[in-house]
Order: sequence, then C-alpha cells, then structure tokens
Amino acid sequence: MTPHTSSRRLFRWRPDQQWEGYLFILPSFLGFLVFIVLAVVMSLGISVSEWGLTGFKGFAGLINYQQLLRDPVFWQTSWNTAFYIVTIVPLQLALGLIMAVGLNQAIRGALVYRLIYFMPVVTTIVAGAIVFRLLLSTNGPVNSLLASAFGLFNLPFSAPNWLGSSQFSKWSVVLLTLWKNTGFTMVVYLAALQGVPRELYDAAHTDGANGWQRFRNVTLPLISPTTFFLFIFQMIGAFQLFTEPFVMTRGGPANSSLSVVQYIYFAAFRDIRMDKAAAMAWVLFIFIFAFTLFQNFMQKRWVYYESE
Amino acid sequence: MKLKRMMGIGALVLMMALVLSACTGVGLQPAAPAESGEQAMAGEPTVITWAFWGSPEEAASHKRVADAFMAEHPEIQIEVWNQPWDDYFTKIQALWASGDAKVIPDVAFLWPTPRYAAEGVLENLDPYIEASGYNLDDYWPGLLESAKFEGSVYGFPRDIEANVIYYNKDMFDAAGVAYPSDDWTWDDFLAAAEALTQKDANGMTTVYALAAEGGKWTKWVNQNGGGILDDYTNPSTCMLTDPASVAGIQFFADLMEQGYAMRPADLNQAGGDAGVFSSGQAAMILQNTSRVSAFNAAGMNYDVAPAPTPADGKRWNGAGGAAWVMSSGSDNKDAAWTFIQWLQSDGGGQTLYTEAGEIFPALQSVANSPAFMTDQPPANKQAIITEAAASDVGGFGYFPEWGELSGSIIEPGMEAIWAGEVDVESGLADICTQVDQFLADNEYPK
Repeated sequence: MTPHTSSRRLFRWRPDQQWEGYLFILPSFLGFLVFIVLAVVMSLGISVSEWGLTGFKGFAGLINYQQLLRDPVFWQTSWNTAFYIVTIVPLQLALGLIMAVGLNQAIRGALVYRLIYFMPVVTTIVAGAIVFRLLLSTNGPVNSLLASAFGLFNLPFSAPNWLGSSQFSKWSVVLLTLWKNTGFTMVVYLAALQGVPRELYDAAHTDGANGWQRFRNVTLPLISPTTFFLFIFQMIGAFQLFTEPFVMTRGGPANSSLSVVQYIYFAAFRDIRMDKAAAMAWVLFIFIFAFTLFQNFMQKRWVYYESE
Repeated sequence: MKLKRMMGIGALVLMMALVLSACTGVGLQPAAPAESGEQAMAGEPTVITWAFWGSPEEAASHKRVADAFMAEHPEIQIEVWNQPWDDYFTKIQALWASGDAKVIPDVAFLWPTPRYAAEGVLENLDPYIEASGYNLDDYWPGLLESAKFEGSVYGFPRDIEANVIYYNKDMFDAAGVAYPSDDWTWDDFLAAAEALTQKDANGMTTVYALAAEGGKWTKWVNQNGGGILDDYTNPSTCMLTDPASVAGIQFFADLMEQGYAMRPADLNQAGGDAGVFSSGQAAMILQNTSRVSAFNAAGMNYDVAPAPTPADGKRWNGAGGAAWVMSSGSDNKDAAWTFIQWLQSDGGGQTLYTEAGEIFPALQSVANSPAFMTDQPPANKQAIITEAAASDVGGFGYFPEWGELSGSIIEPGMEAIWAGEVDVESGLADICTQVDQFLADNEYPK
C-alpha cells in the first residue's frame, strides 16, 4: 500500500459526513473547552483583575505584572528555576544517554539493570524525598562518605549542609530530580538506540571508524530527534518543578530553593492572591513558549531526520 | 444504509444523554441535606457542619467534644468535615469560593482570621456577643486581637501559645546546674547553657543546651523592647533594625554561633524539638504546651520554667492561636453561634479540650480550674500561667497581607541569619528594606 492510495481513501472529501465526525469528538472537545480553554481564558482574566477568594473585586490592568517586576522573591524564584533548568536538563540527558548506551550492550543481566534504573520513575516522590533527606542530613551517609574520601587524600573537609544552607539546597533538589527522572530519559534513549540500523555501523566499521567515531557520527545524529524531544520535555519539566523542592526543602532556607511554580502555589493558597498567582503563571507560560519556539527554530542546526 | 447510520447516531446521542444525566445525578446528591432544614421545623435537629484539620486521632477527640455538645443540645446536630492540615486550607477555600450555603461549613477552625475576614467569608460576631452578653474579658490579654478585623471580632481563639522553657532535670543534675528560677535572666540562661553544652575534640557540639524552632525569635525581640512593625494592624514601617530588636535577634544568633543552641535547619533535620529533647540531644527546648502529653507518656523527668528575660527587659508572650469562626454564608447562624459559644465556655469545649491535655485554654478561668491544674507533670504549671498572663501583640501582624509578608520575606530572611549565612545587622537591614517596600506596594499605612 503506497501512501498515495491510502491518503485518497482516508481523506476523501465527503461534506455530508463531516458533522458526524464532529459529533464523535464532541465529548472530549467539551472537556477540552471547559478544563483547558475556559481555565486559560479565566486565568488571563484573573491576572488583570483584583481577585481574591470569592472572586472579582475590580479591574487591575497590568498592576499585578508590575508588582511582580518589583517583587524580589519573584526574581529569586526565577533565578532558582533558571539554575534548575541549566543543571537538571543537561545532566539528565547526559546521564540517561550514558546509562542507555551501557545497557544497550550485550551484558549479563541488562534487563535487571534496566528495571533497577527505571524504578525511581515509578516510585512515589515523597518516599524518595524522605530517604534523600536522611542521606543528605548533616551527619548522614553522604557526608560520611565524602569525609572519608577527602580524608583519603588528606584534603580539608567541612561537611556541607545540603538541606539547611542556601549554598547547597538547590543541589539537593537537583540530586533528587536526577534520581527520579533519569530512568525515563534512559528508557526513551534505549528505544532510540535500538532503532539505529545495524548496517550503518557495519558500513562505518568497514570505512575504518573506531568506536568513538561510530558513536559520534552515526549514533548521535540518528538519535538527535529523540534528544530534541527529551530536551524540550525535560526543559518544560524543569520550568514547572514543584514537588521536588516542595518535599525536600519547602523552598528554604531563605527562599534559596523556591521554584516559580511553588511560589505560584503559595501566592494562590497561602496568601490568597489568585491575581498575582495567575500573573506569574502567564509569565512562566510566556517563557516556556518562547524557549520552545527558539528550540524549534534551532533544531534545524542539529536535529537530523532520516526521512529528509 | 442511511437508516443504519441514523440509528448509529441516535445511539451515540442517547449514550451522551445518559452520561450527562449521570453527571447531573451525582451533582444533585449534595442537595440532600437541604431536606434537614425542612425537617428541623418538624422537630428534627438543625444540622450544622463543623470544619477542622487534624489527624484521625485529633478528629476522634473533636468528635467526643461534638458528642458532649449534642447531649446538651439535642436540637442541634453536628456534622464533621475533617481534612489533614496540608489539604484543609485549599479545600475550605474552594468551598467558600463556591458560595453555596449547602456545602459551606457553618463553623470552622481557622488561621489567620483577618486574612479570611478581609475576603468577606466570615461572620462578624460582634452582634451575637452583644445580644448574648458573652464575656470577652476572660480571654488572655491581647489574644482576641488575632481574631479581629477592622475592630470587630470574627473568631474566638481556642488556645494560646504559652511558650515556656522545658528542661531535662536529669541533665541539669548531671551538669550540676541549678534548676531555672521563675525570674531568671538572659545572663543566668547563658551561664546554664555554657555548663550544659557538651562539645567534642573538634569543638563540634554533641549535646546542646537549647533546641528552639526559628520561629520563636519574636519572644527575644519583644522581651528586649523591640518589635517587628511599628503597628500590627496598620503598619507604616519595619522595626527590626531598631537596636532593641537587633539585640534580641543577636542573643538568639549568638546562642547558635557559640554552639549552645541548635540551628533551626539542623533541628528540623533531627526531627524537631520533641525528638531531640526526648533523646537527650538538648537539655532545654522553648515551646508551647503541645509537647506535654508526649513527654508525660514517655515518662520523662522534666519540668517547665518561664523563659529567661533580659535584665532590663520585660516578660512577653505572643498572643495568638487558631480560632473558631462562623461562615458568613452559613444557613444556620443561630445554631452555629450556640455551638461556638459552648465551645468557648468554662464547662464546655474549653474544659473538655483542656482535660484531654490538648490545649492550653484561651480562657483564664479554665486555665485556673482543675481542668488544667492537675497533678500530672509538669509540676510548675504556674510558669505557663505566668507566660500566658504576659501575652501581648507583637508576634505577628493582624492585617490581611501578613501571611505573605511573613512567609515570603521575614521568615526566609531570618533563616539566612539562623544558618549563619549573613550577620545579624545586615540580615535585618535587608529584611527591613523588603518589608518597607512591601508595605508601600500594598499602600500601608491605610
């Protein structure tokens, strides 16, 4: 079956039948209207109003947005979120790829390792956070290990306060996030690696390419669409980071690990400032949208599609 | 062919109609309690909904109180709406936002009251107080301020945080330190702290003299004559850079710097003050009465003392506590008032909660009654009464934006000081700059 004939059969113009199609999508379209479109329009409306617990109190124009620009906590959370993005996204991609390449080899018990590495993805994050809090506590196992490692080389060591200092709190959140999500990256990369045609490696081998060259010039370009997908996906995830800092540090100390989405939550439900929360949500959306567009534009430079 | 298609579409429409009607069926169900209103006229009890947060154990205790009330007032039936702390506020906000009298709780446990009063979801209790001659003078000084908005009472605090020093008698004995007196000073405290603190060869503290949550700093500031704001209902400026305030914060920060007091972040990681006090990692904690039942159950050898005060300072305790409020959207306000009044009475809810060891009561008469003055530890209950009698405003603001100001600016700023990341003076200066900016942005003073 060639694409030509199939498209003719599927997309034949039958105006008299169209309304039935609409009828079939109606249930989910209604849900989309109410839960997505209405919510989006409402939040835009709320962000330009004075809006409390019981609803509309008056039109506010851009006052909520202007207040955000002057709000030092908003700037702090923006900086924290930027930090999360530039650490979590590349580390997750790199670690996931290394794990996938490693487990794509014919090694004993590969399946068991894949299971183990994927387990955090399906583990409750709160349970994971409790274990991480114990591991990272000032007198905990991580610091003991570090102390003995430094001691081995006679280096001076002062135990980092992973959860209780502004210097390290963000890194604790990064560690938890990596533990939680890298397994997902690995599985997606594994699927991509297995889709790379064998004969290309054989051809490269015949041309005298060594292992690194085959990886660099065959594997990487062929899995670049996957890298692009994961990059966008993880970036949006990092922009929207909430649970990880919420359960690890509650955003502290001194707001040093507070993410933008956490601040939106506090504004809405602690401070009952729905208007300010909605304004922040829109600023966040604009940033995510702009970055995604930018990446979409940039992909021409580095993403290779086989069909082209 | 055409007929078959029409039938198919007909079936689809029918299915959707069924699904939609099923939805409305579910939606209609909560309307059922409306019938009870009609039944009330026929001699059936009036049903009021009572909302509170808490674990299943706490809920069981609240239900015992409700049972005692219903035994005295058979004409009113209490229905309980209980959520864990983490979900309580988002869910009750959703109920109020719905504006539907059928689902809005008639009586609720709430904090902070002014924030919600400003949103118009709470009933002004002034007319009820006046009509029934309810006695407000029995409350600890300053306590009702935390439940007022624009001069009117919107709620009754159930309890008051009377923060006292709990001390481990065995550890004091082992260190050869005399038990605290009722009028000990900061200097006495420092001397005791030095003797009680144990350090290892590297100078790291292994046993702390004091474990106190970071949030307890307001006591030191106010004892020393300082404050957070110039006015707690209509503030115009931050007072934390005032020398008296700085000295209060410095006292607390120095305790941590010298290794006498656990840093709050470490305390949090170590499982909180009850944990480190029980395990002997700290000889003293500064806390309200909520720890008593746990320490008694563990059979600890402890007592309490009033907090030490600066030599030229005063005794001060922060007057505040979560309050019972009435929804302005309640459809049974008279019954709700009867219940609230009973909850906040000597012989009613106040006595029951106090006897159960769950609260230090908001009413002075109950604190001085056998309900509180039991022969159970701590022996020095007078210390708790002494602190409560020194209650005053100064611990928090009573304006709607206080939660945001405190949660986003003041407490995070203090955390940096407790962690030793900034020195006290510049840390407080930074906080005050942001507080003043916040007040200006929110058009204070009004």
